[in-house]
Amino acid sequence: MKRFIATLLLFTFTPSLFAADVITVKGSDTMVILAQRWAELYMKKNPNVTIQVTGGGSGTGISALINGTTDICNASRPMKPGEKQKLKHRFSSLGVEIKTAKDGIALYVHEKNPVKELTVQQIKDIYTGKITNWKQVGGSDARIILYSRENNSGTYVYFKENVLDDEDYAPSCQNMPGTAALVNAVSKDPNGIGYGGAAYAKGIRDVAVKADEGAPAMMPTAENVKSGQYPITRFLYMYVKSKPTGAMKEYIDWILSEEGQSIVTKVGYFPLR
Amino acid sequence: MRVQFRILTCAIFFALPLFSQEETADTAAVSIEEQLEQQRLHNESVNEILLDMKSYIDLARKLKFSGYMQTQYQSSNGLGNTAFPIGNFAGGAFPTSNVGSRFQVRRGRFKVQYENDLTFSQYVMQFDITQNGLGIKDAYINIKDPWVKSWNMRMGVFDRPFGFEVAYSSNFRETPERSRMSQTLFPGERELGAMIEFAPEVGDWTNYNLKLGVFNGVLPTANENDNSKDIIGRAGFIVPFEETNAAFDAGVSVYRGSVRNTSKFIHTFNADQKQFIVDSAVTNVGLTYDRNYFGIDAQIIFDVPHLGGASVRGEYNFGSQPGAAGTNTFYNPSAANTPLYQREFYGFYVSLLQNIGTKHQLVLRYDVLDPNTEIEGSEIGAAGKSTTIGDIAFSTIGAGYIYHLDDNVKFVFYYEMVKNETVAQSVASTSTLAPYKSDVKDDVFTFRIQYRFPF
Repeated sequence: MKRFIATLLLFTFTPSLFAADVITVKGSDTMVILAQRWAELYMKKNPNVTIQVTGGGSGTGISALINGTTDICNASRPMKPGEKQKLKHRFSSLGVEIKTAKDGIALYVHEKNPVKELTVQQIKDIYTGKITNWKQVGGSDARIILYSRENNSGTYVYFKENVLDDEDYAPSCQNMPGTAALVNAVSKDPNGIGYGGAAYAKGIRDVAVKADEGAPAMMPTAENVKSGQYPITRFLYMYVKSKPTGAMKEYIDWILSEEGQSIVTKVGYFPLR
Repeated sequence: MRVQFRILTCAIFFALPLFSQEETADTAAVSIEEQLEQQRLHNESVNEILLDMKSYIDLARKLKFSGYMQTQYQSSNGLGNTAFPIGNFAGGAFPTSNVGSRFQVRRGRFKVQYENDLTFSQYVMQFDITQNGLGIKDAYINIKDPWVKSWNMRMGVFDRPFGFEVAYSSNFRETPERSRMSQTLFPGERELGAMIEFAPEVGDWTNYNLKLGVFNGVLPTANENDNSKDIIGRAGFIVPFEETNAAFDAGVSVYRGSVRNTSKFIHTFNADQKQFIVDSAVTNVGLTYDRNYFGIDAQIIFDVPHLGGASVRGEYNFGSQPGAAGTNTFYNPSAANTPLYQREFYGFYVSLLQNIGTKHQLVLRYDVLDPNTEIEGSEIGAAGKSTTIGDIAFSTIGAGYIYHLDDNVKFVFYYEMVKNETVAQSVASTSTLAPYKSDVKDDVFTFRIQYRFPF
């Protein structure tokens, strides 16, 4: 029995003694550019720390956190109760949520699209298939081509729950693997509409969004998102299994510092303060 | 004339390439248009192929395959024999031919799941393939309400909604087997029936859950043999403490059911006389007897700095159990002429789990089952009292280490020390109770490898 316990202790603690400061980060595609910038700058300042950043979507990142293949999960939506339950089963933890930045979900259309603004209700009706022609929202007589994200995307889930009120996307909606692919598709499609992080809006045009018919139309600018006046605003999160310690704590503290938050602005998102 | 001819010749000479260039430009223009048209047609055909492929991808997203296999080596400090079983609650009794070690495919699960997210319906079929053959574990249809998305209705074969451990997947569980209490009360964990579940994903009620079901009450793969159904339910809640990454999770469970007796012999225990009273009226055959359990379960999870998440988990159940002579396990009404023994029981377990980083886990568990609370060990076996092995209480201390090689593979090292109540020393050496005059040698060491896919 003593030998058995000694073997257990040897197996348990030996690998921990030689652990290097390597931090893996996986998850939200919306956050991948931001996470890469954070990692690059931090590694430059702290050469003894290696940070590996990959995307794949919030759902993929959360799965990686649950199965122990990432230290930090980036997510553009909060974890669901079912996901917390799985994390609890595997690691006896509900996960530590860290808000890292704010984001406005921008509605993208082709540069030549005459529609300049939409209400949240109109956006919902477009994406659930109740409005199918641009003429119904003041545009030209053309069928609306819907672009969305895959269902492992946090942006997909957030948009479904908060804009579509948990109704289903129209079956004609084309799911794109990442925000960059979605932006690319809309930029080539005069009748297309898509959504995603404000930081990605290159080669396309943002539509101003009104909370309701009587509300002012707001663009997803820094002031509007930070003040909460832009109607489709969310937090960008990091999740870790346990209260961060050591190198991971230092890295997360730096992200929340003034220096880390300045990167948020440079990438096109909005700092917490 | 000659000059005119020369001029004309020169003009033609210089003009020819011009005509030729114009013709080349026209040809090129036509060629680009053709190429564009060809490209357009090509794109359209690619689109058609992609649309066709999309239907398969959509299907692949809805159809999910998963599974896990647990292979193990076990060794006991005793030898399997007919006098007492070794390993009954550690993966099945060791062979009785003086065998003290064995290899096993303990579980070989393969799960097929199809989810239609438009109608919120789910098909689930799970098989168990081991050296003993093929068995069905889960076979049910689940339908989620499409309005508030908080209610589920399930029908088929699935886990009984009682306590925590019964429904806690062997895939995740840190100990090789469930506690003796759970295995005794809920063999196979599953049952045929229907259930509603309240488990909201959003809103103010996300920290509450309720499961309530109606079941045959005849074991998972047996046919119903009476009209009385068993009602099983659990109501639970979780209180998260986000600041400290801790949570308190608890629930209460109820089992209200009955069993159809297959023999005329009904044994009820008289606590004053410390013996079973036998009723052998012929009319007893076919009568139903109560199976009532009550339980509470609780779990605290918390962070241990620099180590990782930890949990303390416990469950306490008590009630009335119709069993057989030699065992207080779930009475099997599909077996003919089995005398029924009605006993009051209690049981509990407490386990402590500590994660160390992402790859290591240490686990400690203490569990107790007293199948007959109305008699002490030293009173069991007294002459003329009809007490049996099925009245002996057991306690088990288990300790283990789990190493997660990657997200597919884990190694489990687990040692459990089983202690039984010692029976009356007056028991004859020929009695089946004789080995229990002292603690029998039935400790078991398990080395298990588990492979699961996907996670």
